Amino acid sequence: MLSVQDLHVYYGRIHALKGVSLEVHAGEIVALIGSNGAGKTTTLTALSGLLRPRSGSIRFEAQDLTRLPVHQIVRLGIVHCPEGRQVFARLSVIENLRLAAAHRADRAGIARDLQRVYDLFPILAQRRDQYAGTLSGGEQQMLAIGRALMSRPRLLLLDEPSLGLAPLVVENIFRVIETLRRDGVTILLVEQNAYQALRLADRAYVLETGYVKTHGPAHALADDPAVKAAYLGG
Amino acid sequence: MLTPSYLIQQFINALNMGSIYALVAIGLTVVYGILRLINFAHGDMMTVGAYLALAVLSSLALPAWTALLIPVFVVAALGVLIERLAYRPLRGAPEVAMLITSLAVSSLIENGATMTLTAQPRPVRLPAELVQRVDALGINFAVMDGVIVALAVALMIALSLFVRRTTIGIAMRACSENVRVTQLMGIDVNRVIAVAFAISAGLAAVAGVLWSGKFGIVDPFMGFVPGLKAFVAAVIGGIGNIPGAMLGGYLLGFAEVFFVAFMPPEVSGYRDAFVFVLLLVVLLVRPSGLLGTREVNRA
Ligand SMILES: Nc1ncnc2c1ncn2[C@@H]1O[C@H](COP(=O)(O)OP(=O)(O)O)[C@@H](O)[C@H]1O
Ligand SMILES: [Mg+2]
Repeated sequence: MLSVQDLHVYYGRIHALKGVSLEVHAGEIVALIGSNGAGKTTTLTALSGLLRPRSGSIRFEAQDLTRLPVHQIVRLGIVHCPEGRQVFARLSVIENLRLAAAHRADRAGIARDLQRVYDLFPILAQRRDQYAGTLSGGEQQMLAIGRALMSRPRLLLLDEPSLGLAPLVVENIFRVIETLRRDGVTILLVEQNAYQALRLADRAYVLETGYVKTHGPAHALADDPAVKAAYLGG
Repeated sequence: MLTPSYLIQQFINALNMGSIYALVAIGLTVVYGILRLINFAHGDMMTVGAYLALAVLSSLALPAWTALLIPVFVVAALGVLIERLAYRPLRGAPEVAMLITSLAVSSLIENGATMTLTAQPRPVRLPAELVQRVDALGINFAVMDGVIVALAVALMIALSLFVRRTTIGIAMRACSENVRVTQLMGIDVNRVIAVAFAISAGLAAVAGVLWSGKFGIVDPFMGFVPGLKAFVAAVIGGIGNIPGAMLGGYLLGFAEVFFVAFMPPEVSGYRDAFVFVLLLVVLLVRPSGLLGTREVNRA
């Protein structure tokens, strides 16, 4: 479904991705793990088009994404739920959700998806008309995911959805990710919480300072002594 | 001296000036909110609008109301065109690059108008219906005064509804929080920015037409002073904030008119300096303006 070949991305003169290649197949959850600064966020940002790679290719189905404007990439079904939630604080919850569906024409589908978001996160229905900036961190993360769903993702790019959240909320978020997979959404999941990510994922890539250090089935990586030592606390 | 009728006259005057400043300030604030651009060519949109209105009024073929409508649409299109040609290529460059470009656009328009139309101010003759005075609500005022306030208020209500209710309005507010994340919502931000420029320039055109009608004169530099004052108004209200621009515009109109009305002639000549003192005082008390929120970190 998604095929990334030899991606090189720079921030000015900082060489942040040094030849990343990865594959995501339809229906999979693929985890991208690695320590802080490894290049996980940079990878997702290049996939959604906000950063343009210096070289390398990104193909989604048959299409080359490296030249496509960001909003058109979203319209293909690649939806990026960015690190740090990034909800629009001065828009209400419902405005955040509506905005993410604004490019769609299927009114009935939008209404269905809104209902689905409210079913997954009932608190958002209660907070419908509140400014997103007044929500708690956990609620904002729910809104960020709900908002991504309103764009009707086929491939969902999730950047650290559990970061800084209370354990109960994290649990809830991971449950939702599993539900989404059952509904047929393909997911590329970036996590520092490698233990959780590997439990959930089918396959995983381990990123280190801009390189793919290793990759393979998630359970195999979870048993790999080197991965254990570096990312799973022994 | 301070007779009730004098005070009422000054009050009407202040409402007029405030209405015009508010219209101009909104346009500045809308563009600033999204691009962080202080658009120095904004006042010149007033000028272009006023000249177009003059041209329409002098041609007997067209009805008088088109002297408002034609400038609005032409100048809105001009605003979109300028963004496309001058500002869009600089997107992502340091903010100061766009600011300097807007200065260049401003001199281009002012010098272009001077060369083709001469710097000679031209008189504007309003249609007779607008000049006549009426008594309403127990006060006596020129129809034009009423038109200025009614039109400005109607446009501000329309804009507020637009920004609250429509998808593109919501997208405009989202862009002013974070353009990159707005793109991630599948929104074509180029379209949003084009709409913002159309609104901004269109409102400036209305303000220019009203201004030239009120003062009866058009010249190539007429947009400069109201443009500057509107900038002050936008900053007082909290730049980037639409209700703030409205509030700032009226505040400035009232402060200025009543400063002149109450101060002895030796002092009232410092009207423009007073405007900046007002700005300083507001910013000392509230650094982000009356309704502004502190800038959150933009990714
Ligand atoms: N906006 C930026 N400007 C310059 N360097 C950056 C920027 N964002 C990230 N980097 C650098 O790129 C590398 C990868 O960062 P990032 O992709 O955010 O890592 P991760 O998400 O894995 O923690 C880091 O060395 C980081 O310092
Ligand atoms: Mg990151």
